[in-house]
Amino acid sequence: MFDSHFAYIVNNPISSIAVFVTVLPLTLTITRKAFLDKSLRLLFCYLVSKLIIDIIMLHLASTRTNNLILYNLSIPLFYALLSGMFYFQFTGKAQKGFVLTSIVGVFVFSIWDIFNSNENLGDLNEHRLVLYAKTVEGVLMISLILLYFYEIIKSLQIPNLLTFPFFWVCSGLLLYYSSLIFLAPFLHYTYTWNNQTDLGITEVIPSIFEILCAVLFSVGIYNFSPRKYAK
Amino acid sequence: MQNSEELKWALLIASLAMLAMAFCMIAFVMYYQKKRFEEEKRINDIEKNYNRLLLDTALNSEETERRRIAQDLHDDIGTMLSLTKLSLNQLSKLVANSGDEKEESIMKKSQSLVEETILHVRRITRDLVPTTLERFGLMEAIEEFIHKLEEDNNLVIAFQSNTEEFPRQGQKLELTLYRIMQELVNNAIKHASCTKIDIVLEIDEEMIGLRVTDNGVGFDPEKIKESNLAGLGLLGIESRLAIVNGTVQYEQPARGGSSAIARIPVNPASGNKPEPLHPFRRERVNI
Ligand SMILES: Nc1ncnc2c1ncn2[C@@H]1O[C@H](COP(=O)(O)OP(=O)(O)OP(=O)(O)O)[C@@H](O)[C@H]1O
Ligand SMILES: [Mg+2]
Repeated sequence: MFDSHFAYIVNNPISSIAVFVTVLPLTLTITRKAFLDKSLRLLFCYLVSKLIIDIIMLHLASTRTNNLILYNLSIPLFYALLSGMFYFQFTGKAQKGFVLTSIVGVFVFSIWDIFNSNENLGDLNEHRLVLYAKTVEGVLMISLILLYFYEIIKSLQIPNLLTFPFFWVCSGLLLYYSSLIFLAPFLHYTYTWNNQTDLGITEVIPSIFEILCAVLFSVGIYNFSPRKYAK
Repeated sequence: MQNSEELKWALLIASLAMLAMAFCMIAFVMYYQKKRFEEEKRINDIEKNYNRLLLDTALNSEETERRRIAQDLHDDIGTMLSLTKLSLNQLSKLVANSGDEKEESIMKKSQSLVEETILHVRRITRDLVPTTLERFGLMEAIEEFIHKLEEDNNLVIAFQSNTEEFPRQGQKLELTLYRIMQELVNNAIKHASCTKIDIVLEIDEEMIGLRVTDNGVGFDPEKIKESNLAGLGLLGIESRLAIVNGTVQYEQPARGGSSAIARIPVNPASGNKPEPLHPFRRERVNI
């Protein structure tokens, strides 16, 4: 019964690894009790929802069903969870306000984009990827991360970044979104369900960095210690 | 087709460039943060050293000033008193010859007053400069100090040490320990209304420990520090210790009273300089 799934995984090894590698930071979160930290709790939610969505998408893909609607819907969800982490890290009112508005903004924008990119929403078979929303999400995430880096440098409150979990999380996200940001607008054109224009290696890069990102998450979460957090 | 091929390359290059930038960004943040921290630490160190130097200088000049006063007392007043005593002796012979009872008794009184004054001046100079400490070391100095106190107080002061021969330490260190012991014992007499004081001096390879315990009313150092009750004494102990990397700890033993333990890393007297330590050297001494 899983034959088609195995076939899909064998044909798309890298993106399949990117799906299952999420398990690593997830288990680490549980064993290191990282969910005690508010930001890492949101990261945990993100990882859980990502794993679920990715597995459903993988299932749909291997049974040759159009799964792109899930991808589109995940954009505002993921953005809300990821930028929510920054909401807890920032101390300034202005930054917190920016995070909250951007969550609402991305939500509205991606819904609009789904309608905009799909003339006939009812036809799920012909569903297409959004045109701008992913790019907007990437730009916003990268700006949040850079803003956060700026705050780190300015406030000088973290003596050793290498043992600071959230720095690793930020680095992972920065790399992932950097690898994706130029590719995202083209996905709308290349990822139509029937006709997949092959972008070659460029297409694999985000998956590679998705894996790297999960590894960096794991390193960060591994560095989390409940005792230090209690202080 | 040509176009799509070019597009692929453009995308690949753009993505790689973006990634390179991200890597640089992360590396930069890490590097910059580390550098800022090192700088901060360096400034802190400099500040700490500077404060220490200030303290050191202040205590040094206090010690120099004491020496100057002691020397002036000894040289000027001491000499004058000796001369006065001499003159009085000559005068007393004359008076004795004259055979007047009343004059003779006044003469005796003046002589004993001068005698007493000389003793007082000598005591004061010796209090100002711990000569015994410099000549014979800590054990003798502490014993002498205790002896003097016990004479005119209704107190039992016990002194113990874990060695027979306490090795001589650097001049500064000995003086620090001596002054701390002085302040702790003085505090016990002043505030604790105790009947017994124990002084314990311990030395091992690395540390010298000085423990002063009394059986008086006891006190909470934290509360004293908070409530601005602290006089110069406890603060002085801490600043003296800061200069020699020492620590102090106050305890309240279960059976009442209070106990203070000062710990200082050993610092044996440098080299074998048998240079005689004149108690009243004029030049600036490095305690
Ligand atoms: N052995 C002790 N027993 C009880 N109380 C003490 C003892 N030592 C210190 N204290 C309390 O701690 C306070 C601070 O002591 P500290 O030596 O700093 O000041 P001081 O003796 O009052 O003044 P100074 O030493 O400057 O002449 C004292 O006022 C006293 O209340
Ligand atoms: Mg005192």
